Amino acid sequence: MKKNIITKYKTLLTALFVFAAIAGCKEEFLDPEPLSFYTPDNALNDADGMYALLSGAHRRLRAEWYGDGAPIITENIFSEVAVEGTTDKSGPAQDLNLLITPDANLNSADRNRIGWFWNEFYENIKLANTVVTRLDNAEYESEEERNAVLGTAFFHRAYAYYRLTQQFGDVPLLLEELTTPKLDFVSTARLTILDKMKDDLEYAAQWVPAEVAVGEVSKGAVNHLLAKVNLARADFDGAIAAANAVINGPYALMTERFGVDKDDPSKNVIWDLHRPENKSFNTEGILMSVSRLEFDGNGSATSTSAMRQAVPLWWRFINTPDGFNGMSDNPNAEIPHVLAYGRGIGRNRGVPYSTIDIWKDDDNDLRHAPGNWVDMEDITYNAPSLKDNGSTYYDKPLELKNASGVVLCSDTIRNWYGWPQYKLFIPDPTASKPSGGHSDWYIFRLAETYLLRAEAYFWKAELGSAADDINMVRSRAQAANVVAGDVNIDLILDERARELYYEEPRNTELTRIAFIFAMTGKAAYNGKTYSMNDFHQNNFWYDRIMETTNFYNKGVFTIHGDEYTMSPYHALYPVPASSINGNTQGVINQNLGYPGSENNIPPATTLPEGS
Amino acid sequence: MRTNFTEKVHDFLTKLRRLFALTLGLMFLSLTSFAQDLDISGKVTSVEGEALPGVNIMIKGTTTGAITDIDGNYTMNIPDGSSLIFSYVGYKTQEILVGNQSIIDVSLEADISSLDEVIVVGYGTVKKKDLTGAVGQIDASQIAHQSPNSITDVLRANVPGLNVGFNNSPKGVSQMEIRGKTTLNAGAQPLIVLDGTIFNGDLSDINPQDIDKVDVMKDASSAAIYGSRGSNGVILITTKRGTSEKPTIGLSTMFGFATKAFDNPPYDPQGYADWRTDVFNSINYGVDDKPGYFNRPNELPDGVSLEDWLAYDGATGDPTTAWLNRIGFQDVEIGNYLANKSVDWYDKIFQTGFRSDVNLSLSGQKSGLKYYWSIGHTSNEGIIVGDKFETIRTRLNLDAKVTDWLNVGVNTQFAVRDEGSVPAEWNMYYQDSPWGSELSDDETTLRYSPQDDSGAGARHPFLRRTYTDRDRKFNTLNARMYAQVSLPLGFSYEFAFTNRYEWNYYFNHQSSVSPEWATGTAFRENSQVQEWQIENILKWDKTFGDHTFNATFLAYAEKYQGRFLHSRNSLFSPNDKLGFYNLSLGTAPVLSGDPDGDEGFRGDQTSTGDALMARINYSFRSKYLFSASVRRDGYSAFGPENKRATFPSISGAWVISDEGFYGINAIDFLKVRASWGENGNRNIGRYAYLSTLTANKNLIIQNGSVTPVATLDPATMENAELKWERTKAINFGLDFSIKEGIVEGSLDIYNMITNDLLVSRALPDVTGYTNVLSNLGEIQNNGFELAVKSRNITNTNFAWSSIVNFSLNRNKINSLYGDLDENGEELDDVTNQWFIGHAIDELWGQRVLGIWQSDQAEQADRYGVVPGDFQILDKNDDGVFTQDDNEFLGFAKPRFRWTFVNNFNFWQHFDLSVELYSMWGMNRAFNEAKNRSGFIDRTNSIMTPYWTAENPSNEWARLFSSEGSASYNVYRENSFIRLQNVTLSYTIPIAALEKIKIQSLRIYGNIRNAAVWAPDWEIWDPEASEIDGISGTGPTPRYFTLGLNLTL
Repeated sequence: MKKNIITKYKTLLTALFVFAAIAGCKEEFLDPEPLSFYTPDNALNDADGMYALLSGAHRRLRAEWYGDGAPIITENIFSEVAVEGTTDKSGPAQDLNLLITPDANLNSADRNRIGWFWNEFYENIKLANTVVTRLDNAEYESEEERNAVLGTAFFHRAYAYYRLTQQFGDVPLLLEELTTPKLDFVSTARLTILDKMKDDLEYAAQWVPAEVAVGEVSKGAVNHLLAKVNLARADFDGAIAAANAVINGPYALMTERFGVDKDDPSKNVIWDLHRPENKSFNTEGILMSVSRLEFDGNGSATSTSAMRQAVPLWWRFINTPDGFNGMSDNPNAEIPHVLAYGRGIGRNRGVPYSTIDIWKDDDNDLRHAPGNWVDMEDITYNAPSLKDNGSTYYDKPLELKNASGVVLCSDTIRNWYGWPQYKLFIPDPTASKPSGGHSDWYIFRLAETYLLRAEAYFWKAELGSAADDINMVRSRAQAANVVAGDVNIDLILDERARELYYEEPRNTELTRIAFIFAMTGKAAYNGKTYSMNDFHQNNFWYDRIMETTNFYNKGVFTIHGDEYTMSPYHALYPVPASSINGNTQGVINQNLGYPGSENNIPPATTLPEGS
Repeated sequence: MRTNFTEKVHDFLTKLRRLFALTLGLMFLSLTSFAQDLDISGKVTSVEGEALPGVNIMIKGTTTGAITDIDGNYTMNIPDGSSLIFSYVGYKTQEILVGNQSIIDVSLEADISSLDEVIVVGYGTVKKKDLTGAVGQIDASQIAHQSPNSITDVLRANVPGLNVGFNNSPKGVSQMEIRGKTTLNAGAQPLIVLDGTIFNGDLSDINPQDIDKVDVMKDASSAAIYGSRGSNGVILITTKRGTSEKPTIGLSTMFGFATKAFDNPPYDPQGYADWRTDVFNSINYGVDDKPGYFNRPNELPDGVSLEDWLAYDGATGDPTTAWLNRIGFQDVEIGNYLANKSVDWYDKIFQTGFRSDVNLSLSGQKSGLKYYWSIGHTSNEGIIVGDKFETIRTRLNLDAKVTDWLNVGVNTQFAVRDEGSVPAEWNMYYQDSPWGSELSDDETTLRYSPQDDSGAGARHPFLRRTYTDRDRKFNTLNARMYAQVSLPLGFSYEFAFTNRYEWNYYFNHQSSVSPEWATGTAFRENSQVQEWQIENILKWDKTFGDHTFNATFLAYAEKYQGRFLHSRNSLFSPNDKLGFYNLSLGTAPVLSGDPDGDEGFRGDQTSTGDALMARINYSFRSKYLFSASVRRDGYSAFGPENKRATFPSISGAWVISDEGFYGINAIDFLKVRASWGENGNRNIGRYAYLSTLTANKNLIIQNGSVTPVATLDPATMENAELKWERTKAINFGLDFSIKEGIVEGSLDIYNMITNDLLVSRALPDVTGYTNVLSNLGEIQNNGFELAVKSRNITNTNFAWSSIVNFSLNRNKINSLYGDLDENGEELDDVTNQWFIGHAIDELWGQRVLGIWQSDQAEQADRYGVVPGDFQILDKNDDGVFTQDDNEFLGFAKPRFRWTFVNNFNFWQHFDLSVELYSMWGMNRAFNEAKNRSGFIDRTNSIMTPYWTAENPSNEWARLFSSEGSASYNVYRENSFIRLQNVTLSYTIPIAALEKIKIQSLRIYGNIRNAAVWAPDWEIWDPEASEIDGISGTGPTPRYFTLGLNLTL
């Protein structure tokens, strides 16, 4: 019994000891252990960490050309080269007067990607600013390495602001990493931003190496962007100087056959230039996106979906002249068109301007040559049921009308137009009905540098030099030369549309030109002059589209009953309402013409404090 | 330092485990018998004289006892001077001092009051009548014959204030919420405590047949014991223990069927063609200059000849073919239509699911050892072909009284879950064309899309099921081992160690044979979880005369470790026939995580927590009751300076009916309760305060070869200030019992204020961040709960009792970020749709006024729409729809809920239970009314009404309606009353069982989800939406079950 009591007390003592052990838990016990992710502390302390942030920025900016409803389509439909062609529902950006509002869904494959640009470019500004702010917390092998990191960050920030200032005009300017919540942003004037970006790019051009891996930012890319920024600032000498630096660098237009189909006599250099396997292995690419199926989930972008987006919906609603359904997208059909053209849905509907008008003057242009270019009449009726029905039109070329003039295609908007097969045809081995597979893509290409320099010469009225640059691009495509007297903005825009369709951000570049007209007051070829004072009501962007379009404001309705409309204020996109509403302690300006612009305050014209 | 400490803990644990093993060994050695001096016998009956079999008789102060036989007789051998305690469910316990009698006959008095029931309150128990907090209890064994599918079926509708969602999967575990939502972004799930220890595993691993009791803690003072995570309430589950001296074998088995509870068929084959004609007429609104273009050729408008009609698009030949071509039929559909070959997808996709459940248990107690062991197999098929859930669960509960001062025990459960079924895609039933084909042209492979239009989303419903090979299993072990030591001076000490292990794997292969996937893809995913918890509990129980003290002290620590691996490959060579069995044969491998995949990247994670708690209860003659507690908690996810927080509570109760001046005879028990307390919420990510850099890859080409390079992206902004979310709650309650329990009930009103909310504060997106996790704002919940049980009729051959529960909760955001506008009013968070002064669940958006009718074409045109489209309120009449047109449109959550359960007993052996529950006053999006989901010009549809000029409607839009610049939801009230459960059971009379030595046998049949009345809801289940945002629209099942419970 006595022993028992002692045991009891022993146990009580043990209990108290255990209590004390647990109660005296060290603070370290509650320290978090990040296991599978990085924090700034363990990742951003050397050049590799900094470059990883910048590779992240590269990854984001390439996404413009990939996936369903790729953002490049929004750039095209807000210009004269294409319209939204999904005609069977309301929602796609067709009736712009009705649908393009700050409160609308601005980031959806079925609607538009305005909000995507806003979000992604500001994400990249965050990435670049993280590098800028933390730059000297990291260690480098040399001063050159440090400066190259900073220069690359400046490139990504300037790329984002170049696009934002053409797409949205005055926007908030952030130059440093944010570490605490901030809700008092204001918009900064477009030119103030562009001037700062020019300074940054000039710094970057000194330090970013000329020779880099494909898929990284080179000195050439910096100068190409600087040429654009200087054009946007109406600094034409600066633009020429920057373009010279690119053209005199390690680049050259591809003029000879090369790459995977080199030995196929039915093809040509234009075809070669745009083969997925060839894009990264030539002297023309300046800034590249590298994307490969075998690296899917391992660094590759998603598939391009280019055929699905930009090829017409040819596999339905097209009848033979003898009155039967003519088309099939069956990949196992005897004539498997779907493998050659993809299962297009006509979202990015090329318009007569870009598919017919700009090609009229030159039959030799390789960019519109049969094989490279496909018109509807180039393909044949392939529905297997035609053989059962006894139709005589099986495997005969498509016809738009029958003998009595009845249109045989029930929706000519979505189902009937031509397209540049050499650009859009991307094999898609993982899809039974191809959409457009994985592929590298050109972000900056030397042909555009020539056209940028041509434009700068034009603004300076050095038309001969401008014609020379344009002819560099034209002669490679075996198109006839132009002469100095031909050169005007109309010609330059036409040439850009011929060379850079589904490649250049067309709306950005067209608005940039509209801004130059408004800033300089130079008369346009249409006889008009423009001013910054009434830009949202009267601008070259709108007049150019009205001059060329067969859709907007022409009383054209989709089969769903939606009308194609557009207004001058659409030259600038609406700032997403969520961004303005979330900024409760400041005013981010809305562009004039959109609801909410009545709350605007004058934009800042100085750089934010501390920058 | 960290390692050092961890080592110490491990070292210590190892020692403890050894001690434990030793103790267990000793325990078995010490199963010796006691010295006994006296033989006694007797008979136990009810007051009415009926023999009571199975009455438990214990020698006071020991664990030795006996039970009565079938005639109520018992014999036993007891030490001199013992007292015997006679206890029997449903009867009052009696204590008898034996003296030197040798025959002791006892008659037990029926106990119809529940006030003596024991309630688990966290690290202890109290009698219901001594409770000071708001706690609801469910006696799970009483509803075991209602064929509960999961623990959440046990809980649904049984405790006012505990809201259990509806889940239509065969697994059947639903979301739960206690009282209102006290948080904006942190988790709102209640804390689950299983046999005394926090349970973080999957609820489906707990076999509902093993559950003895469930206690639900609703107010702050009760839950404060678990302060760290108590702000969403606590659900305490107690599993069964051995009780009777005689080993008892229990067999419960049931089988049944699941069928569709609602019927929403698609158009039949001919109806589909007619409806499609209307679709095309509606789509081509306003551009139709060819009258009757889409009509059936035999239904042309007056004045249009068949020739004219054919010439519209140059058609020749068969007019039916021309018509079908015009209404978008694909060639395969036209072929089948002409051959009159149709497919009934609705019939093929839905099935009558078979369900079976077998559970076997062995329990009892002997010489201080209580044991309960069970094993059960459950196999549930759903109402969709291929939807199946299967699990095997086993449990072992042992409790051994080793000496008079040492108790040791273990509660262990092990479960294997198979969640690898690949069900048919049910929503294809209204997308696939009835005129489609089932097979590809090769006549063997399933057709990718029956109508050759995969782009419209129409796939063969069995495609993924047929060409996916999936093996997905969860193995979980949850074990709590404990030792309790009685110490002098009223102290006792308990040490408990709980370990939870999960080994899960998920292997999946999408075969290249499928026409959908031109290449095969396979992945293997493994995850492991190891989690330990240590509890040290010191208790002190002492009575000084009329004063009873009870104190509890806790020291606690926990650690979670999760490990995760996902490897994937595709582009297999030479082929993918080995599937996931040999990933190395693919040529596009992805290792460690799946950054672009649906599952997202899930890395390894670790978190730690600790706590200290003290509680004191004081009672004066069980009349004045008082309780106070304080708990200090730490958790690794919070900022460096705010890892720990302290949560106090205090509560008291006064049994008025025990006072001398009390004079209300009808109400024989009346108690008032009041409590106040604070609780915390830590349901956020394990690394919430840190800035995390999302790692990914980008490709470059270096020296001619493609190389992935690392990318980093700051995904979240760091917030080193991050701290616990706190809820302060006050509760007033009233418990009463009328006429010895004829009517019993309780009433509670409460107010809960949550501060320092863990909220993803929206940031302007120009920051590059969408939000940052912060502690801001204030939310308030007020509510009212009533629970009443009554015995309406208690005759020998007919008894009727009922339970009524009623609850309502009102929620309001008092404050958010403290940002003020120019008038000094606090600003709303419009981005997240949180508004000061409004409920979290308040709906905000553009208001639907009705449908534009034919004579309003001109007004409709202003908004870019036409008659048949929805008319939306343009508040500022500016012709465009922006946020300025938004209004508050009602609430997404019920304004009130009630439950009404009736139990009937006929001729003693038949029991009928009828359970109704209802939610009222809430709204849910009903965008089916827009008649524009998906591609209705290319797919079939659920049959719904639609507007036409001839048959106008003000609720249903025209087919493929337009929205103009508006973006809105059409809301409908989804209030409903559900007949949740009807059970009829028959208990075989004992006399009939005696000969075959069976203790009890009950057979029953029941229907769950028997009927629903929802006056304003038209498609599928009004309640299909889950409580915490997990939507589950679609068909819900009705279950028919037959079962048997047998005790040997």
